[in-house]
Amino acid sequence: MATNRLIQKSKVDVYAGTLFDAANDSGGKEEVVAVRNQFVELLNIIYGDLDLSMAISGTMYTPEERYKLVSTVLADVATPLREVIAVMSRNGDASLLTRVYHEYESVIEDKLKLCVVDVVTAVPLDDELRALIKQKAEADLGMTAVLSESIDKSILGGIIMSVKGMRIDASVISQLYHARETLKQTDGGEI
Amino acid sequence: MRARANIAFRVSAASVALMSLCPSLAFASEGEESGGISAILPDMLEFIPMLIAFIILWIILAKFGWPMFNGMLEKRENTIREALKQSEEAKIESERVLVEYKKQLADAKAEAAKIVADARETGDAVKAEIQSKAQSEAADMIAKAKSTIEAEKKAAIAELQASIADTSVDVASKIIGQDLSDAEHRAIIERYVKEAGSFNGN
Repeated sequence: MATNRLIQKSKVDVYAGTLFDAANDSGGKEEVVAVRNQFVELLNIIYGDLDLSMAISGTMYTPEERYKLVSTVLADVATPLREVIAVMSRNGDASLLTRVYHEYESVIEDKLKLCVVDVVTAVPLDDELRALIKQKAEADLGMTAVLSESIDKSILGGIIMSVKGMRIDASVISQLYHARETLKQTDGGEI
Repeated sequence: MRARANIAFRVSAASVALMSLCPSLAFASEGEESGGISAILPDMLEFIPMLIAFIILWIILAKFGWPMFNGMLEKRENTIREALKQSEEAKIESERVLVEYKKQLADAKAEAAKIVADARETGDAVKAEIQSKAQSEAADMIAKAKSTIEAEKKAAIAELQASIADTSVDVASKIIGQDLSDAEHRAIIERYVKEAGSFNGN
């Protein structure tokens, strides 16, 4: 007899596999990566907005209303991702979104043998830096790396790289934070 | 006893009355026969009754008066002796009491002196204890004050350090954010990527 945990795992596998197949069929590797990047942005939006999160996962709307709501709100999102999230919301499985995202990344890695590296910098990267970062990621992870770049002035400088739950924070703001903590904890001695 | 005394009194009164009659008779006869040896010899007619009366009086007195008188004397003597004895005993008792009082007074003086000495000794001990306690409390207060001052000093230093650190970091942030060109940013990124650790932890 299947337990609830196994049922949830099966659902996650089905949603992630369906999303990968749909994205891959519609645009190949580039579309798969684009869907993945949109998925990351959507997760940040959904979990940053309590009303939206309650709307797609709560019981205040009927399943069909939730489906229409998600389809309307995510009209600009890639079709495979929009449809999968709408179906999940209609089925009451919106709470599995994060797990589906991680499973989707695993499917990408398994089937395409590539990983997506999220890179955050204060200024846009040039080709030379992209090559350098990609070379480093591929050397560390042993597979093809695709960069997902974003600009964030608040890090002041440096770079933040994350992939598969691992994170390298070489930003200036982080180093200044450590310097600030070190200065605060340093014993000033007798005056 | 009282009846006997009454009888003796009556007998004595009768004897005195009888004797008072006899001399009057004698002086009467003396006036009649004066001169010669007879002047100094008693008249037998007067002498014998007087002798008889004397003898009777003597017998009566010897029989009743003297024992009673002697008893009174003895009683008086006993009374006086008893009084003297009691007086002597009272004197002895008073001397004994006096000695006892003196002894008690001496004891009281000694005890008072001892109490005073003890009180003085206790007072000195209490004084020393109070001084010791006061010194200890003063030392504790000074230590606490020093500790408090030290803690406040450290807190002030820490606050100052934090303020300096915040100010320094803010200044550094502004300098980095405003003064670095894109090329300098990229140079920093390149250096950080080369110096950064590995994703797989090696």
